[in-house]
Amino acid sequence: MYQLVQFITRQRAFILFAFLEVLSLWFFYSYNNYPNAIFFNTSNYYAAKALSTSNSIREYANLREANTELASENNYLNSMIAKLQAQQLDKSIVNYKADSTVASRFKFVVAKVSGLTTSQFNNYITIDKGSADGLAPGMGVISSTGVVGKVKSCSEHYSVVISILHSEYSISAKLKSNNEIGSVKWKGVNSEIVEMTEVSRYKTVRAKDTIVTSDFNYVFPPNITIGYVKKVGVKPDQTFHEIDVQLATNFHTLAYVYVINNKLLGEQKALEEKSEDVKAK
Amino acid sequence: MTPRSIFSQVLIFIFYLLLQIFFVRQLVLFNYAFCFVYIASIILLPFDINRITLILLGFFAGMTVDIFYNTIGANAAAMTLIAFLRPSVISLLTPHRGYDERQTLSLNSMGLTWFITYATTLTIIHHFVLFLLEASDWGLFLPVMAKVICSTIFTTTVVVIIQFFRRD
Repeated sequence: MYQLVQFITRQRAFILFAFLEVLSLWFFYSYNNYPNAIFFNTSNYYAAKALSTSNSIREYANLREANTELASENNYLNSMIAKLQAQQLDKSIVNYKADSTVASRFKFVVAKVSGLTTSQFNNYITIDKGSADGLAPGMGVISSTGVVGKVKSCSEHYSVVISILHSEYSISAKLKSNNEIGSVKWKGVNSEIVEMTEVSRYKTVRAKDTIVTSDFNYVFPPNITIGYVKKVGVKPDQTFHEIDVQLATNFHTLAYVYVINNKLLGEQKALEEKSEDVKAK
Repeated sequence: MTPRSIFSQVLIFIFYLLLQIFFVRQLVLFNYAFCFVYIASIILLPFDINRITLILLGFFAGMTVDIFYNTIGANAAAMTLIAFLRPSVISLLTPHRGYDERQTLSLNSMGLTWFITYATTLTIIHHFVLFLLEASDWGLFLPVMAKVICSTIFTTTVVVIIQFFRRD
């Protein structure tokens, strides 16, 4: 017993080191499993407040760009309204009309970016809206130019968003020109390029094709721009195209984002789980 | 140590943490070179600091920075490791005549060569652990190494430059 005590006293630095090291690694590897661990990230009120204060400088520097983006978005929305009004006049031949609840299932919340990173291996964005404004983990986030990411955790007035520039995040996407489905994921290095996979090599993919979110998304409405095809290649032993996608959103100057609340998400998921159960039996 | 010198050490420690969180957090050169100047808060503590205190401070500094980087645990693990290894690195780098009683851990008192070797060694260990943990993927080994090397140069340079502005 005496020897044990002596050993511990002699090695106390090493024991403390080992303990803290294991503790940090445990934090690190379990972090992704706890979406509500809000104390230890930037949705923590004090951390977020501090970040948004220091971010205000960056914001001034990027005002010009933010304005241009908002103006071009207004322009796009106006043309969209005109198009929809025109379509209303000639009713489609098939007598299909979406249920009004389904048609208006997406609700948008505007939020301001108060902190973000772009060149780590896993990037996050802090925004200034939280559970008090109806945000919840899992909701999609877009900007005026395209897809941004997904809400990871919310405190009352702030949230942390997993950016598309994150090694463990992929989005179901499709090519606008021929509706080919694939998935988009970041490769971990360049903050302007993501990779699209799972598109069969026997389909044609042209440079500059637009890539948008697919219809099989829970979090995003269909047809939100992700980016544009930059380079198409095929690995010799694979059956898929390897597509480099230029992101539509410029993460360096991101200032305002929209958080998408899909009101029917719970209903859709519950229904799909139920049918899975039936299949299993 | 006098209460006065302890107080100034605490101020320096906090200064480096604030510098990291508010000023150099956004500072990235060419997407590869990151500046983690806050490791100076550990490597510049006096020679005679207690080992236990050193490790606890390292863990605390890492954790604080982690909160703002959303990398909970990664910086803490790297900082705890360099705080633990610091005494061994110092004794490895002992000059021929041994350390002088009156020497303090600063550029002026230890000389440029010693200081750069010392800072680089600890910085490279820190960056290697941090970036490898963050990547969590051996496929990214080359980008990780590129980031480690570029960031080590960047961080060490900044730490050394700040040393030039010190009044001892």
